[in-house]
Amino acid sequence: MDKTINRRDFLKIAAAGTAAIAGAQIIQSAEASSGGEKGPHQWAMVIDQSKCIGCGHCTLACQAHNDISPEISWNEVLPAGEVDNNPVYLARPCMQCENAPCVEVCMVGASYYRPDGIVMMDYDKCIGCRYCEVACPYQARSFNWSTFDGDNPAVPEWGQPEVDRRPRGVPEKCSFCYQRIDRGMAVGLIPGVDDDASPACTVACPTNARIFGDLNDPESEVSKIVRSQPTVRLRDELGTAPRVYYVLATPDDFAETTS
Amino acid sequence: MIKNLRARLQPSPWLAWVAFLSIFLIAGVVGGVIVLWEGLSVTNLTDLIPWGLWITIDLSSIALAAGAFSLCAVVYLIGLKKYEPIARTATFVGLIGYSMAMLCLFMDIGRPFKFYQAFIYWNTHSLLWEVTMCVGLYFTVLLLESMPIIANWAWLRARFPKLAAKMSRVHHYAPYLAIAGLFLSSLHQSSLGAAYGVLKSRPFWYKPEMSVLFMLSAIVGGISMTLLASMLAARVTNKAKVKDELIEKLSQFVGWALVGYFYWRFWDTLSMTYTYEPGRTEGLHLLTKGPLAFNFWFGEILLGIIIPMILLLKTKTRANRFWRMSALLMVVGGVVAYRWNINLSGALVVLSYLPGQPTVSYASYTPSLIEWMVGLGVIAYGFLAFSLGVRYLHVVDHDFVEYEHVEVGRKIPEAASA
Repeated sequence: MDKTINRRDFLKIAAAGTAAIAGAQIIQSAEASSGGEKGPHQWAMVIDQSKCIGCGHCTLACQAHNDISPEISWNEVLPAGEVDNNPVYLARPCMQCENAPCVEVCMVGASYYRPDGIVMMDYDKCIGCRYCEVACPYQARSFNWSTFDGDNPAVPEWGQPEVDRRPRGVPEKCSFCYQRIDRGMAVGLIPGVDDDASPACTVACPTNARIFGDLNDPESEVSKIVRSQPTVRLRDELGTAPRVYYVLATPDDFAETTS
Repeated sequence: MIKNLRARLQPSPWLAWVAFLSIFLIAGVVGGVIVLWEGLSVTNLTDLIPWGLWITIDLSSIALAAGAFSLCAVVYLIGLKKYEPIARTATFVGLIGYSMAMLCLFMDIGRPFKFYQAFIYWNTHSLLWEVTMCVGLYFTVLLLESMPIIANWAWLRARFPKLAAKMSRVHHYAPYLAIAGLFLSSLHQSSLGAAYGVLKSRPFWYKPEMSVLFMLSAIVGGISMTLLASMLAARVTNKAKVKDELIEKLSQFVGWALVGYFYWRFWDTLSMTYTYEPGRTEGLHLLTKGPLAFNFWFGEILLGIIIPMILLLKTKTRANRFWRMSALLMVVGGVVAYRWNINLSGALVVLSYLPGQPTVSYASYTPSLIEWMVGLGVIAYGFLAFSLGVRYLHVVDHDFVEYEHVEVGRKIPEAASA
């Protein structure tokens, strides 16, 4: 064979290729780790465990407003042990992480950060590889294994669908009811203050255990609570920086009822 | 015509083999249609274990296809030309392996008919993006590398001689293709491990050496697969001819590579967790004394590494074809076991996200009948493609000289005789 490549040529080509790819990766990494562009609002939610009675109204409202198949759920209410023999619950929407593993691993960029901090899904881009589902530490993703073409049992009792049903074969997730936020703000309502601009779960909660608002507004209810009370974020040690804060139940919260 | 057909359909071992594979192929096609029609609800995959049998087949066939890039690098870059006939087999095995992986992935993704979007929409930060791009490009490289092999098809040479000649000529670019192949393969073989290794949510996977282990096991398994396929073909049909000394030499290399792989796997597994760490320790226990223990100790370590390592490094057993083939088969099985174990041991351990230290629970997964049908169908396709290659394309023929070489070599004697 007359066409041969000597070792030096090979190394040159290989080095150039490696450098180009490494460069692109580093730039991308820097972008991804900053959690995307930040807009004027940063939506967040506080869930007060001491008020949550585990009724599951939030889940039902979510099923109706987001038209979710009864087989899956975007919002789970889990038993979370007991405090002084009183059962406590943990409601879990999507954490809307500032450094969301699902966004970082998604190969087609179907998961992305909105400037207001919501971790969104572009269901048209998604090919259904489920890498996001494996990457999420909060099990906040629900894959729709089968087509949802029947009636939604939560409609109309718990609300009317506000978004399109997703195609079969994508991992669905909570979006902080972005449609309610966007439509509400378009007519001058304030998310977290006006019901029509707040997530359906927040509105449906009978004990006001969920508080929604803008972390960039120091006067919002969520800002005040996060500033003044001890709160925790789930699996905070992972560095995902969730935008859902929990006020944990303490024995004091049950002092009145038990005594 | 009918007489001819009847003559062709005389019972023969070849026909029996094709009929046997067809059973699995048909079952696979039926399963595949059901999956496309009904969606992934017919599988036993869940939100906790979204990746199962198909991912194992997909990862294994990519790993066992790695002989292509390793041996092409040996022949065209390091310049050990005598291994060229084996590199040809490896290239063909590689082509089959990657097409198997793509078939399996097509079934596995939630929206199969949107698969092309993986190439359109880019998130360059994602490891799976890199893997997708590399696999796509490398498959193209393998197709080009296989052109001279497909040009060996007698029917093609007779019917379209010019096209066949053109396809043969691609052989001139083999060194460039080998560079591209080496580059793309090293990137994605290791990144498949890294795809698991970057996931903080699954502590058992979350470690940097995943890439190294995937790469090493792919080289070991890929070369073994090529050698095993060559030896097996030579044993069952006279269409395949091998030079045993070449295979023996490479088997010795596999033996030494197993030593390296063993060291890394041992270090990875047993020194990984000394102090308790939620999720990671449980994952290790699943492997070493839980439901995966038999797979791990017996399939992966003993049969997959230690026994073949001894058989291939000992001159006497390596020289014996039976022991050498058995050893290569064990290595291939061990690499498949590794992919299965690593996927499951990480996925079965579920960490809670409740406030406080995470607690551990266990998920379970057994593939459904349809998953088996599709999976075995994909494997049967691989066997059939290789068998056809051996029968019609001289894929395993160490005495065979590419037509291109013959033509180049013939020019001078022709001039002399005239």
